[in-house]
Amino acid sequence: MNGTTATVTPATLLDPAEHWHHRLAWLSTVDHKRIAVLYLLTGLFFFVVGGLEALFIRLQLAVPNNHFLQPDTFNQLFTMHGTTMIFLVIMPLSFGLVNYLLPLQIGARDMAFPRLNALGFWLVPFGGILLHFSILTGGAPAVGWFSYAPLSETPYSSTPGVDYWAIALLVLGIGSVGFAINTIATVLSRRAPGMTMRRLPLFTWINFVNAFMIILAIPVLNAGLAMLLIDRQLEGHFFLPAHGGSAVLWQHIFWAFGHPEVYIIVLPAFGVISELIPVFSRKPIFGYEFVAASSVAIAILSMSVWGHHMFTVGMGRAANSFFAIASLLIAIPTGVKVLNWTATMFGGRIRFAVPMLFCIAFLVQFLLAGITGISHAVVPLDWQTKNSYYLIAHFHFVAVGAILFALLAAVQFWFPKMSGRMLSERLGKWTFWLMVIGFNMTFIIQHFLGLLGMPRRVFTYPDLPHWAWMNMLSTVGVFFMSASSLILLWNIVVSFFRGKIAGDNPWNAWTLEWATTSPPPHENFHALPPIRSRRPLWDYGNPDRPDPIVGKDTSEIESPDKSKVSILSFIVSEAAFFTVLLLAYLYFYAHPQPGPGPRELNVPRTLIFSLCLFASSFTIWRSEISLSKQRRSSMLGWLALTIALGGVFLVGQGLEYWKLFQTGVDVSTNLFATTFFTLTGFHGLHVFLGLVALLILLWVAWQGDFASGRGSTLAAAGYYWHFVDIVWVFVLLTVYILPLIR
Amino acid sequence: MTTYQFLITAWKWNSVLLILCAMVLAGYFLAFQRRGRPGYLGAALAIFLFALISPVSALAEGYLFSAHMIQHILLVLIVPAFLLLSLPRSFSLPRPLTAFTHPFIGWIAGVGAMWLWHAPALCNAATTSRTVFAIQTTSLVLMGSVFWWQVLAPRDANRLSPAAGIVYLFTACTACSLLGIILTFAPVSICSVYQHPADRLGILGTIRNDWGLTSDKDQQIGGLLMWVPMCLIYLTAILAQLARWHSDPVPQTEESNA
Repeated sequence: MNGTTATVTPATLLDPAEHWHHRLAWLSTVDHKRIAVLYLLTGLFFFVVGGLEALFIRLQLAVPNNHFLQPDTFNQLFTMHGTTMIFLVIMPLSFGLVNYLLPLQIGARDMAFPRLNALGFWLVPFGGILLHFSILTGGAPAVGWFSYAPLSETPYSSTPGVDYWAIALLVLGIGSVGFAINTIATVLSRRAPGMTMRRLPLFTWINFVNAFMIILAIPVLNAGLAMLLIDRQLEGHFFLPAHGGSAVLWQHIFWAFGHPEVYIIVLPAFGVISELIPVFSRKPIFGYEFVAASSVAIAILSMSVWGHHMFTVGMGRAANSFFAIASLLIAIPTGVKVLNWTATMFGGRIRFAVPMLFCIAFLVQFLLAGITGISHAVVPLDWQTKNSYYLIAHFHFVAVGAILFALLAAVQFWFPKMSGRMLSERLGKWTFWLMVIGFNMTFIIQHFLGLLGMPRRVFTYPDLPHWAWMNMLSTVGVFFMSASSLILLWNIVVSFFRGKIAGDNPWNAWTLEWATTSPPPHENFHALPPIRSRRPLWDYGNPDRPDPIVGKDTSEIESPDKSKVSILSFIVSEAAFFTVLLLAYLYFYAHPQPGPGPRELNVPRTLIFSLCLFASSFTIWRSEISLSKQRRSSMLGWLALTIALGGVFLVGQGLEYWKLFQTGVDVSTNLFATTFFTLTGFHGLHVFLGLVALLILLWVAWQGDFASGRGSTLAAAGYYWHFVDIVWVFVLLTVYILPLIR
Repeated sequence: MTTYQFLITAWKWNSVLLILCAMVLAGYFLAFQRRGRPGYLGAALAIFLFALISPVSALAEGYLFSAHMIQHILLVLIVPAFLLLSLPRSFSLPRPLTAFTHPFIGWIAGVGAMWLWHAPALCNAATTSRTVFAIQTTSLVLMGSVFWWQVLAPRDANRLSPAAGIVYLFTACTACSLLGIILTFAPVSICSVYQHPADRLGILGTIRNDWGLTSDKDQQIGGLLMWVPMCLIYLTAILAQLARWHSDPVPQTEESNA
């Protein structure tokens, strides 16, 4: 493809037609490209915030026995730094990249659900404001980013900081799940003709896999946060050992989310590297299939090895051994990836442009991060280095050396597509070298500080041999990184207005985002090249020696209905949420507490009301059949009956609650009550929301707006309704039936 | 008895099993002559015998829940998989048996084999009664075969598409991992027989003292075996599905979603 055609529209903030309401054009946008830019700008803003927090932390630690910051301020700073960098910087930046590029790479016009997309973005600033609002309420949370119980509980953190932290993360988590569902629906049902699943660019494929991790892992955190809030706001007892709760349960829940989360933030970086290295080595990726499949292996493995974060908790030697082995195994698929990237470079004509420099730095830093990571899978070594600066160094090698470097490579690489102008290579090289030098100066030395025994999360340290100069060196490094970041911001601002015009395809890359103008028009593409392989632009530019056709030579693709795909993804994430609540119930059921227990519950009455709920699954199915047979009145009747049956069930639940309240049992009574009300309450809430959705459908159907083409909406609502019923089967079995057979 | 003596002497002679295996072997060659893949059959039979006559089996008989779990995993996941792999490519099921080839039934069989036999009453009964144990063993191999049929059926047309296969395997893996998690953290004994073994072989002292396996720790290992290594078996199968998807030249339906 001729890369530098002159038909470039220069970068403009607004279309001419938009000038009259220009203030709203960006606020009300549902265009994936603008939402992506908003994501990226929000991420950059919080990057500055989180970076300043890091700067203050390092200033405090620059010299021994320093009193620049109060201990409590220091605790707040490292908590906010960690939370901000993970949830408000890396995730929004990754989501922004995906939002911009994924629809372009698959030749789509937009994401599958543009308004859901906008909601997902606006939840990020909302969550960010909630989190920082805590500062005005008596102090930011000061309990660390993993917020271990019981420190995070009311007796030990009495200001509302932790509450804001939990609510902010819930808000951000809901946005992330929405984004992930949107990603899955977009990839499955919005691909251009010819873009079969096997021809997906690796960036798209890896983020597709990542979306599944998000919908499985984030709800686990959400469930934990809900429990924490119930503890704090309603005097529940989940994580309070003094009342029979389990602080270790919080750790299990947090790390069951937290370990997949590490891969949720690192997989997009893998996707970036897998796109960039081939372009700058002028070779197709070596072993596409292995890179693709190893992402799946990483995703699945990462969900069952969270125990390695808890070696020092006292899970016992047996559990430690299993988690150690499983954690070591993750090195295999990760190693496969590194091998593929290096082999892609091998023998290639490498162009050392700034994006490639960051990719190479990524490889080196990620290798070191991986080696120290493996050392943490070795239990005895982990015992010695956990909660020391060795651990800090390790995960900053992952978060900065790997993830941030990949994101910086991505910014340099895709900025021309987004703005129409190139970032300055000269300033980019300054950014690169200052960042690499500063980063290594800051963090390599921290490995040794950790091995010398310097603990993390302590606001100062005594003047022990070597500690002073090592810490000073580390702090000096931060100034290099700050300078690098400032140059980057300057580069972005200057290049946006005065950068070199980029043209459609400045890097001579091969994926579809380069087949349109820079920036792309609102509808993304005027025409698409034929897609027969993974490098459509290569085939288009080199018709005499195209890539071999991948799969069957066809442009036909399957596009499953986006409503069904999205509701199924949503159900998967809800299932993860309820699984955690159920397991928590079982856990405390097995450790009975004094006070009320399952014997207080009225089993026969609940069984009768349950029959109503189960019957409603039948009636909604009948309603769907009536719709497919075009019998409007019968469909309305069955739908109304479904709503009535659901309502009756809720009345039954209300009766149960009322009787319990009458006998003085509420959430705060004991652990049985806490878990019972949490589990059945969340189920009841889902039934209620389902009823609201069905009422809306009923109203729409009543208005006659349901004639054709909307069958899938009712089917989607039906799926959700069946799911709510199936959850109740499990709740009924666990809460009501299990005590009878014991 | 020391560990060494135990490992030497705990092998059992079981005529019924050996005759059964010989009959399967003979029947296999009569039915398929040279068309089959006897290597896989040999592996299936060897693992089957290992699970039932080796020291693992001796320990599973009332001593160690974790040994029982190894036996369980071998019988429900490994042996049926090799059995299906040994069938010739041209093999198709007799008509009445095709009723078991719906993916839903396969999934329920595979996951049910894990959950059902770990209900406390059934788990205890299978450990104490020879008859129940025989029923258990038979049902595990059968249910495992029904489960794997969706993925390893000899004819490609009888298998799930790779994407559907991945969903099938991943959900099964999740369901079994959940049971593993419950077993690992359960404060009560799931299979109470293993708490106070009748020391028929005089090995209990070695187990408790030399190996350091208390009954709590034993159950924890059992749960972890179901949680972690079993997940790796499913993961291997998922990777095989991906390999099949990327290598297959014949058209495939590409995706389904969960």
